[in-house]
Amino acid sequence: MPIYAPTLPPAPDLHLGQPPVLVLMRFDFTRLWRQKIGRFFGFAFLMLLLWKVARIYVDHLLHTNEAFKPMQDFAKTILTQGADFQADLLNPASYLLWFLVALVGGGLVARDTLYRVRPLMYAHPVAPKDYLLAKLGFASLLPFTILLPFAILPWLMSLLLAGFHGPVWATAPLRLLPAMAIASALMGSLAVGASSMAATPRAGIGWVLGLVLGASTLASMIHGLTGIAAVDALNPIMLAEAWPQLFVGVERPMVAWLPAFLGTALHIALWTFVAAKRTRPSEAVI
Amino acid sequence: MIVLDRASLRYGPILGLSPTTFELPDGGGITGLLGPNGAGKSSLLQLLSGLLPPSGGDVRVFGQAPFRNPAVLARLGLVPEGDRLPTGLRADRWLRMMGELSGLTGEALNAAVAKALETVGMADRAHLTFTRMSKGMRQRIRLAQALMHGPELLILDEPFNGLDPEARLTLMALLRDLAEKGTRILVSSHILGEIAQLTDRILLLFRGRLLAEGTVTEIRQLLDRHPVELRLTGEAQVLARWAVEQPELAAMRMEEDAVVISVRSPRDILPRLQKAAAEGGIPLRALDPLDLNLDAVFQYLTKDHA
Repeated sequence: MPIYAPTLPPAPDLHLGQPPVLVLMRFDFTRLWRQKIGRFFGFAFLMLLLWKVARIYVDHLLHTNEAFKPMQDFAKTILTQGADFQADLLNPASYLLWFLVALVGGGLVARDTLYRVRPLMYAHPVAPKDYLLAKLGFASLLPFTILLPFAILPWLMSLLLAGFHGPVWATAPLRLLPAMAIASALMGSLAVGASSMAATPRAGIGWVLGLVLGASTLASMIHGLTGIAAVDALNPIMLAEAWPQLFVGVERPMVAWLPAFLGTALHIALWTFVAAKRTRPSEAVI
Repeated sequence: MIVLDRASLRYGPILGLSPTTFELPDGGGITGLLGPNGAGKSSLLQLLSGLLPPSGGDVRVFGQAPFRNPAVLARLGLVPEGDRLPTGLRADRWLRMMGELSGLTGEALNAAVAKALETVGMADRAHLTFTRMSKGMRQRIRLAQALMHGPELLILDEPFNGLDPEARLTLMALLRDLAEKGTRILVSSHILGEIAQLTDRILLLFRGRLLAEGTVTEIRQLLDRHPVELRLTGEAQVLARWAVEQPELAAMRMEEDAVVISVRSPRDILPRLQKAAAEGGIPLRALDPLDLNLDAVFQYLTKDHA
């Protein structure tokens, strides 16, 4: 029978309460929500979303209103159509999203390194895998959560305005959601891996941007020198944009299925491995 | 409560802690972990708090191996070295998160946070962000996070670093209070005075080896090579004349108003000295043991093993 200090509460039952992964993820989300950066990006993405939804309505008007008939042909030349249009629902936000992931994800692990929070956590019933999963989960859920209304709202709008014959396919969410999940996992793992290599949150942001832009530049150079298009699968920006294209079946996706699969698997495996190594208890010396 | 059986820790080719064996019993009390920088204090604390597995030997806390063992971790609290905490965060929110990581929820969590804040005297300032807190306040919040789940074993690594004297005394009083209420506290420091003020029971580490364990007096008695120095204040010449007749005398030096004698067996000479002074045989005004304190024990032990 353990002896407890008489004035302190008894030791908690470990089977109660939320799993540490959820506790840590929720803490990171609420922390982001309270920060100015969260509000700024919230506003920016909201504007983009409104533009997307407005476009659906404009598209609807072009097809149904006689007054806009003369403009239909012109609109077809400047606005994407068919599969490209479906994939494009997610794309305009991608650069801004990478920037957000770098700003937020760059500090995720680096902040805990700087303030030596990990030894404190590991001295609680928190396993290193809980910590890693929480960080990966947060960094991946963040872009997914932001992309979710971009896939759902235009689809709903299209359904409401034109039923199954609207500009957004009735099956679009089924195609876009898996693509978003893969792209988000790619962004999250890269951000957490990069952040784990940094000693400060600012350095973490630098690492994420450096890795994303560095890998993109490298891929472009090798592509240019060798002419092998599959090398573009090393480019994480291109990969994130390619997955929606692949799932909706655009004619000429940025990266083909196999290179996209291999490139994404390589990135996720590599950066998860790096993050796992860098967040081991032995790295969290007290 | 704690049992180490030839437990060692390596960082690659570097030996952080040589095979070490000791036991700490159940129940409350404070034990000081003493040693200069690089002695292996933090390595030992990492083993005990389950951050690292031993490279060799066995570590048992509450009868189980602590490494990645939630059953052990739920019963211990750790306050690592340093006072840095994530800037911009409110202390109470951070504490709630740490409490949840220990499995506390709902009312139990609220009560634990309130109780821990009250214990460390931060109940009215917990809404502040860490940026707006002094070092002492941050240190108390770190202690609060270790106390929330009612640990039976509290491990503190250099908790007094950077604290002003007042904050230091407050923290010491707090630790004594916790120990009296049944918490076993293991506190590391490289400052002898801090440990001496806090506790008499020490574990002394030097260059990755456990040199001594026990009370200062017990350890001092084992140091036969070093005679005990006593300063006898009074008429120096008369005192010196008495001292040279004593068989335990190893060395002697004169001071202006005193004589300092080194004796091999103070237990034998002290009763005679007391008797002589009481009978008026020697003009003794004061008796001061010079090297029965922690500083002297530490110096002798580290010099012997250097």
